Amino acid sequence: MASDGAAVFAPTGGARRFRANLLVVLAVVALLLALIPLIAVFGYVFVNGIRSLLSLDFLTQDPPADLSATGGGVRNALVGTLEMTGLASVIAVPIGLGVAIFAIEVGGGLARAARFLIDVLSGLPSIVVGIFVYATVVVTQGHFSGFAGSLALAIVMLPVVTVSAEEILRLTPRPIAEGARALGLARWRAILSVFVPIGLSGIVTGVLLGVSRAIGETAPLIFTSLGNNFFTLDLNQPMQALPLLIYRNALNSAYASARDRAFGAALLLILIVFGFNLVGRWLTARRRLAGSRR
Amino acid sequence: MTIRSVRQKVTASPAPNEAEAVAIQVPVGEPSASAAGGAALGDVAITVRDLSAWYGARRVIRDVSMDIRSNAITAIIGPSGSGKSTLLRCLDRMHEVVPGARSSGKVAYQGVDIYDPEIEPAAVRRTIGMVFQQPNPFPTMSIYDNVAAPARFNGLVKGKAAQDELVERCLRQAALWDEVRDKLGHGGTSLSGGQQQRLCIARTLALQPKVLLMDEPCSALDPVATLQIEQLMSNLKSEYTIVIVTHNMQQASRVSDITAFFNMGPDRAGYLVELDDTRTLFTNPKNQLTEDYVSGRFG
Ligand SMILES: Nc1ncnc2c1ncn2[C@@H]1O[C@H](COP(=O)(O)OP(=O)(O)OP(=O)(O)O)[C@@H](O)[C@H]1O
Ligand SMILES: [Mg+2]
Repeated sequence: MASDGAAVFAPTGGARRFRANLLVVLAVVALLLALIPLIAVFGYVFVNGIRSLLSLDFLTQDPPADLSATGGGVRNALVGTLEMTGLASVIAVPIGLGVAIFAIEVGGGLARAARFLIDVLSGLPSIVVGIFVYATVVVTQGHFSGFAGSLALAIVMLPVVTVSAEEILRLTPRPIAEGARALGLARWRAILSVFVPIGLSGIVTGVLLGVSRAIGETAPLIFTSLGNNFFTLDLNQPMQALPLLIYRNALNSAYASARDRAFGAALLLILIVFGFNLVGRWLTARRRLAGSRR
Repeated sequence: MTIRSVRQKVTASPAPNEAEAVAIQVPVGEPSASAAGGAALGDVAITVRDLSAWYGARRVIRDVSMDIRSNAITAIIGPSGSGKSTLLRCLDRMHEVVPGARSSGKVAYQGVDIYDPEIEPAAVRRTIGMVFQQPNPFPTMSIYDNVAAPARFNGLVKGKAAQDELVERCLRQAALWDEVRDKLGHGGTSLSGGQQQRLCIARTLALQPKVLLMDEPCSALDPVATLQIEQLMSNLKSEYTIVIVTHNMQQASRVSDITAFFNMGPDRAGYLVELDDTRTLFTNPKNQLTEDYVSGRFG
């Protein structure tokens, strides 16, 4: 009987029920508001870019010398982006992990100083990073290069990787950390074989965040890799990248061909980032399930 | 192994005979004189002299001196906060792992000062193994690797055959082999709490330590698992020196040969009140505080 329930539990007042429902409604509204720009941007780029992307030439051909001409593709930019971001990761991930481990395991003034610099770095506008690499590398070498571009992207990635790795490694449960020490494991061994595997999915997520951040950067590349209308794998040459190509073609969007190319490249960039994230998640999820024996 | 057989063995576990009980008379504060000819007990394995320990500025144990015998189980009992865990951690240099923690005094294993600057803490911890209150197997490692990896990392075992052999031997010693032999590849954390604790014991045994320090190893376990661990300790006694911290008086009297009672002084630092043959300490303690504590009048 309903009256029994009310006798046992204080009846939920109408006002209280209303407040609870109101909170849910507000949360849903906030969620929708947050999703609108995301869906709108992706939808807009998708609708405008999918036509270019559907032709295989778009991936296998380089752009025409004249941006207003139709045809051609973005091969040089795609390869340049992958190569420069790849090299940037190779530079930034070990350094970032190293700084994170140092900050946690050694601590002290040096670690705090390193951490402070990293924080400053993450607040730096990326164009400043580009100018810094221009002044130090490009000017010294006397030419723009894919290598300089990679370096600039690595500097952009570094704080993202470091901060997330440090936060994840700090979460290693104390009993586990003490267990490793009590077994006489060297510190580096405990970190590499116990802490890093435990935090692996978080660390990978951090690396992917860094890659996603770097792969979409235009500003650090303008003064470093410069851009190149031709295909090259040579890191000593100026190198094209998707954001640079998007930028140049978007500037010429009065021409339908340039406009389509920019949208196609933008969609490609989004899909690459999306793909990286999916693969990363899949890899870490798979690792956790497997009870690897060796 | 059935619960029944465990229980039988435990109740049958050796309580020192009367002759020894009389022989081991340990004047508090002068443990070096404790020599006593406890025939069944081994020699002194660990000597502790004037050991004090601090967390930051706060002293939590004061001037502890005691001898720990080999091939015996020494139980450490005392009220919460009396520094039992801290003492244990000073015995394998785990105390200093806590930021701001320090200690003074002397701890020697087989006559060698374990705090000698020449000696690596990691080497001490390999010889003097520790099992914690909460089972802490490495969560990303399989059961097999939980046992094999620490030994491998310490360079104690090479090659698959040797590892297989080591894993089986240690899991058998820890009375876990039969329960996990078919799922060595499963995650270490997929086991029950009691199984995890035995896995942690096996993992420690794989380093071929000489001493086992156990800090309330059964407090997270049910009575059946507790009996299994107690049984295990009795079996390991012939080869190892075992020190166990416990809040459980019955456990201390069931499994240990020697019991040390710690209390918190007026300065809130723990000190050793009395150390004696377990039977004597529980039935005929010299100190009124000990009597009050073991009879449940305080603590
Ligand atoms: N990591 C730490 N940092 C600061 N103080 C600590 C730390 N660990 C323990 N202490 C303090 O040291 C004192 C002794 O602690 P300890 O853990 O050795 O006692 P215990 O006898 O093991 O107690 P329990 O029976 O509750 O486990 C306590 O007052 C405790 O508050
Ligand atoms: Mg304790």
